[in-house]
Amino acid sequence: MDTLNELLGGFATAMTWQNLLFAFLGCLLGTIIGVLPGVGPVAGVALLIPLTLNLDPAGSIIMLCAIFYGTQYGGTITSVLLNTPGEASSAITTIDGYAMTKLGRAGAALTLAAVGSFVGGTVATIGLVFAAKPLGELGLLVGPPEFFALMVVGISLLVALAGKSMVKAIISGALGLLISMVGIDPVAGAPRFTFGMDRLLDGVSFVAVIVGVFGLSEILSYRKNAETPLVHAPGMRSLLPTRTEWRRSTPAIARGTGVGFGLGLIPGMTGSVSSLLSYAAEKKFSRFRHQLGKGAVEGVAGPETANNAHANAALIPLFTLGIPASPTIAVLMGAFLQQGLTPGPALFTEHSEIAWAIIASLFIGNVLLLLLNVPLVGLWTSILRVPTPILTAVILLFMVIGAYTINFSVFDVFVMIGFGLLGLALRNLDIPLAPMVLTLVLGPLMERSLRESLEISQGDFSVFTSRPISAVLIGVGVLIICSPLLKFHKPKALTEDPEA
Amino acid sequence: MTTESLLTKPERAQRVAPSVLAGIGAFTAVGVYVLVSSVDLGLWTSLGPGPGLFPFAMGGVLVAMSALWLVQELRRPSEKAEGIDRGMVVSVVVSLVLLASVMDLLGFQLSMFLFLLYHLKLRGRRTWMTSVVIALAGSVGAFYAFNYGLNVALPVSAFTPLNLIGL
Repeated sequence: MDTLNELLGGFATAMTWQNLLFAFLGCLLGTIIGVLPGVGPVAGVALLIPLTLNLDPAGSIIMLCAIFYGTQYGGTITSVLLNTPGEASSAITTIDGYAMTKLGRAGAALTLAAVGSFVGGTVATIGLVFAAKPLGELGLLVGPPEFFALMVVGISLLVALAGKSMVKAIISGALGLLISMVGIDPVAGAPRFTFGMDRLLDGVSFVAVIVGVFGLSEILSYRKNAETPLVHAPGMRSLLPTRTEWRRSTPAIARGTGVGFGLGLIPGMTGSVSSLLSYAAEKKFSRFRHQLGKGAVEGVAGPETANNAHANAALIPLFTLGIPASPTIAVLMGAFLQQGLTPGPALFTEHSEIAWAIIASLFIGNVLLLLLNVPLVGLWTSILRVPTPILTAVILLFMVIGAYTINFSVFDVFVMIGFGLLGLALRNLDIPLAPMVLTLVLGPLMERSLRESLEISQGDFSVFTSRPISAVLIGVGVLIICSPLLKFHKPKALTEDPEA
Repeated sequence: MTTESLLTKPERAQRVAPSVLAGIGAFTAVGVYVLVSSVDLGLWTSLGPGPGLFPFAMGGVLVAMSALWLVQELRRPSEKAEGIDRGMVVSVVVSLVLLASVMDLLGFQLSMFLFLLYHLKLRGRRTWMTSVVIALAGSVGAFYAFNYGLNVALPVSAFTPLNLIGL
């Protein structure tokens, strides 16, 4: 079979010792980022892009992908042991995970979460293998109007799900689009919003903006006396779940895989939506639903499987259509572009070797994380014992290096500082940051497809409604945005989405 | 919900918080600026949409949403946000600005060493031993790791005596 041959070729590339090392390093760094409560996956991946600048494209993307799903494994550890989610999509795990810790079953919770993550991630990657070709071919048929409409749906979904106020989420999205427009306009070549600064002709550096808005602002909003409490890593023997625990988590892992995989495919859905809905599914369908909240394994295995299945499935729209489905994937897409790779249907025709190497490395990374995550739990928890001032200093160091090395100029360090202050202001005004990141990356693509569509139709806006696919998509987008007026309510399970 | 919040009814802020008003004002101002300048860029050309069309739409969205937000706030002011640690914000931002200003002159190693020492020793109150070791690793160590390990060049000093000794 053609696909399998190409996948085998991918494995051959991914198994070279350099690429294995990159995957390993990525898993390690990703887990650390996941464990640290201060740095989420978005800032973490953006922060580490400079590390990969001079690697070859395959190695660099392999490492960044490993960092990305490493954070999903790492986030679980603090949720279970400390009742503090390391990143947003593990927030729901705290309920039953921490309850299990109090019952002395922390080790089992961590092992089951890691096994669930492995199953979810691997199934989603198998999905990617088989969906890549057909969806990519479909993607080539999609014209600018459909592309535009698809992005509208993704952004409106994210806007509707982010935060308590849709008004604020739209403001965040509009800001991101405006920031993305700074520089030379892609069609006519006119400079826009550069305030006469030559440096801005190429646009504002994406990495500096993300590191500022997500990373620096997080540090600036640290509260006083926010010392982390002492944690005890569970002993090796208690890491093994009992037979009942295995049996009970199996259906939860299966449901989590389904929920995460399905939602991961939809642009605009974040990993935390998947984990929240998976918890809701356990509440409804599990035979042990009455125990949820009191330390039920289903409440850990389900959501943790779902967020990892989601993370890997979300790569499908990126690889096949070139559309990032969530903020973290948007950052990853920024890294692709930095390496001169344009994600999308053309990736498989122009850089098929790299694309398959990355896919193969996803399998390898999931195995590595399964092997690394649980046995080394003592090492991960020791990171939490590092005093806050030292952590802050080291994170600031990486931020400065990260911002500087994009263009080798201190200008980007100043950009990062400025956007850090903007991020702090937005956090204080309760404006969600997620829509901004997505529109920041999608902005240029959206504008290009909008203008191309209008050029095809010679300025007639009906081009979006006269083509069936784009008409349906635009309709869906409008419905989502108007949902508060129509008195549709967000499902109750999603009202506490912490990623917002 | 804690018992405290059950017993004492949350005080309804009667007026819109000044920071919220400032935020709404700032977003409106940005929106208006974008609207005006995108008209200058040209909304429509003979070939179709011009460079100003998309920004114009976004400026409009920004102004409209700020107005809606104001209406929402006037009807029901949002609860006051948690305070920030001002001392922390000032010290981090000022130290970063200073670092960025002198990095090209003093070089990465010296300026980063001083920056880390400030955050570890003066602000973080770590021991001299810890502070100096971490500051050295983060400045000199990071410089060599990035230069030779990752092939990413960090700046050296612009001054002759300093750059001769490799700083």
